[in-house]
Amino acid sequence: MKRNKGMIILFLTPTVLMFSVIFLYPIIRTIIMSFFRIDGITDPVAKWQFTGLSNFIRLANTSLFRISMWNLFRIWLIGGIIVMSLALLFAVIITSGIRFKSFFRAVIYLPNIVSAVALATMWLQYVYSPKFGLLKTVFTNLGLTSLAKVQWLDNDHKFAALLLAYCFGMVGYHMLIFASGIERISSDYFEAATLDGANKFNQFRYITLPLLKGVFKTNITMWSVTSVGFFVWSQLFSTVTADTQTITPMVYMYMQIFGAGNSITERNSGLGAAIGVLLSVCVVAVFWLCNHLLRDDDLEF
Amino acid sequence: MRKKVMALVLTSAMAVSLAACGGGGQTTETAAAPAGDATTAAPAADGGQQEAAAPSGDGLVYWSMWEATEPQGQAIQAAVDQFTADTGISVDLQFKGRTGIREGLQPALDAGTNIDLFDEDIDRVNTTWGQYLMDLEELAKAADYEATANAGLMAACREVGGGTLKSIPYQPNVFAFFYNQTIFDEAGITAVPTTWAELDAACAKIKEKGYTPITCDDAYITCMFGYHMSRLVGEPKTEEIVKGGQWDDPSVIATAEAYADFASKGYFSETIASNVWPAGQNQELAMGTAAMYLNGSWLPNEVKDMAGDDFVWGCFSYPALEGGTDGVDAANYGAQVLAINKDSQKAEDAFKLICYITQGEFDKMLSELSIGIPADSNNTEWPALISCVKPVMDSMNTRYPWAAGAEANADMTPIIKENFLKLCGGSIDAQGFVDALKKAGN
Repeated sequence: MKRNKGMIILFLTPTVLMFSVIFLYPIIRTIIMSFFRIDGITDPVAKWQFTGLSNFIRLANTSLFRISMWNLFRIWLIGGIIVMSLALLFAVIITSGIRFKSFFRAVIYLPNIVSAVALATMWLQYVYSPKFGLLKTVFTNLGLTSLAKVQWLDNDHKFAALLLAYCFGMVGYHMLIFASGIERISSDYFEAATLDGANKFNQFRYITLPLLKGVFKTNITMWSVTSVGFFVWSQLFSTVTADTQTITPMVYMYMQIFGAGNSITERNSGLGAAIGVLLSVCVVAVFWLCNHLLRDDDLEF
Repeated sequence: MRKKVMALVLTSAMAVSLAACGGGGQTTETAAAPAGDATTAAPAADGGQQEAAAPSGDGLVYWSMWEATEPQGQAIQAAVDQFTADTGISVDLQFKGRTGIREGLQPALDAGTNIDLFDEDIDRVNTTWGQYLMDLEELAKAADYEATANAGLMAACREVGGGTLKSIPYQPNVFAFFYNQTIFDEAGITAVPTTWAELDAACAKIKEKGYTPITCDDAYITCMFGYHMSRLVGEPKTEEIVKGGQWDDPSVIATAEAYADFASKGYFSETIASNVWPAGQNQELAMGTAAMYLNGSWLPNEVKDMAGDDFVWGCFSYPALEGGTDGVDAANYGAQVLAINKDSQKAEDAFKLICYITQGEFDKMLSELSIGIPADSNNTEWPALISCVKPVMDSMNTRYPWAAGAEANADMTPIIKENFLKLCGGSIDAQGFVDALKKAGN
């Protein structure tokens, strides 16, 4: 094919320009900011004070930031396992030719279209209420009195409570991605396997799973990116002041940039930028790992 | 290979841009906020030329921390409408909401957006945004503003403004114990507690009658720690301890022991360790099962629909402690304040508008609609629900910042919160509380 360089440049220029302005500039600026002490996020560069790696060192030495990273890791790993397992299970069921497929798909996806504020209020003030909560009522009716007495929002249980509420809303989204991946697999493979005597489980194990590698990669990357941006649910589960069980790096970053709670606290946008850099490194690492562990370029179907 | 490198670059781009939602991203978001408000941004862009030509009669731009649907927003809107009708000066009033103004004001001012006046909390306006404020001494003097202003609040504004008046207070508030008078009467408590021993005795009587003496929510629990510490050693020392991690100071264990003692006597709500705001204030205090709650004077308004018309409110300042530095005349009292942008070309008009909002008819309206304290000393009639706050407000001499310094170190607030909740819930003892703070390190 003959390449027309002029046309290539003409078509690529707007994209490259937009990419540079919208993505590249903020990335470079954020990286540079992470080496400075900056009070207000829009302070002029003349007011920035170069501090070298001290923002990163301070983060490493701050127990609250370490707690927030630990929470993020737990959300990513435990939440990821729960969400991916349920999403895959539901996707397999939905695509197995059951009746009312659209109805079930809509029901599972429903939490995604309800405001997080409304959902969190439901979980906090109703489901977990130690006075009249759903869990308390259910466990009391089942005669499980010790479980009925559990205070789901105290420090020992708050993380689990948050994770459950969050995962409840995330399953539908990832289920749709899995379902579309499964539907892409030709039914010929399954018919052939059935003729060869493979049962449903073996079909799933040897046909569906290997052919979903690419979709897994997409789902894990999407999950990692949304986990890193975990903010709203954390805020909703601990209004006004942050909480050791729900704080995430993004909440810590907000506290550093805009101040914490109702108090006037020290602000440092440079520290916030350093957190941004660290988080992006985490996501790139996860993406790189996924690419190496889940190779799907040998598959064609 | 090239494809992979490209994919890696794109993923990192996505990650950084998403991660930047809280940081770099906020720049985009907050910068977008004023830009989205075309009405402000547009005149701001070429406002300089228009303003130079136009007399001081054309529009003011006012950014407010309220929502248009809130009682405060409605009263401010009414004041603005009247101001425009009387003076012919149009006002572009923009309700930004609490988050909107907190995140968006500074970037907007830095970007040169035309904002003549804005409002927010007294400390945030004077401290965080202090560099953008106009000195209002001359304008206040010319308008004889202080003839009807609350002297204590004006003094507080000068104090946080570095000795000069840079903001005008409205919607004052005070932080104190709010209680259910009916429960107090039933328990035979005839006078409000002024010392820790009296509070102890009152709690015992309330508990005997089958009520929960004290409840709280996670959002306010650090205030109890801060007030006790500040009563013991004063607010500046409390802040020093919190910021410097001086958890070995005897006041810390003394505070923890006082609360551990109350916890062991069953004075706190059984669910205090798991009360996520507003569970305690709504489901316990307003429902009449708990008697006391340390909170701001906005509390009666927040729970009025749940508490019902027959709820009789009482209020008393955090009790004094034996051998303590501060007495009951110290608390976090303050207000929302209005301030004028130092670059405003229409400061006189803006100050006129401030007078409309904070004095006379509209101050009264704001007080009535929001069940808040009036700022104008001529408005002597307080809404019935909060008339109990008046003696407390009038007795104030020393001003604490928010949470009496307990939240001065953002890195420690969640750790103090976690362990104080556990202390009140009875799952750790006083020494366990101190050890946990020391372990956190900073």
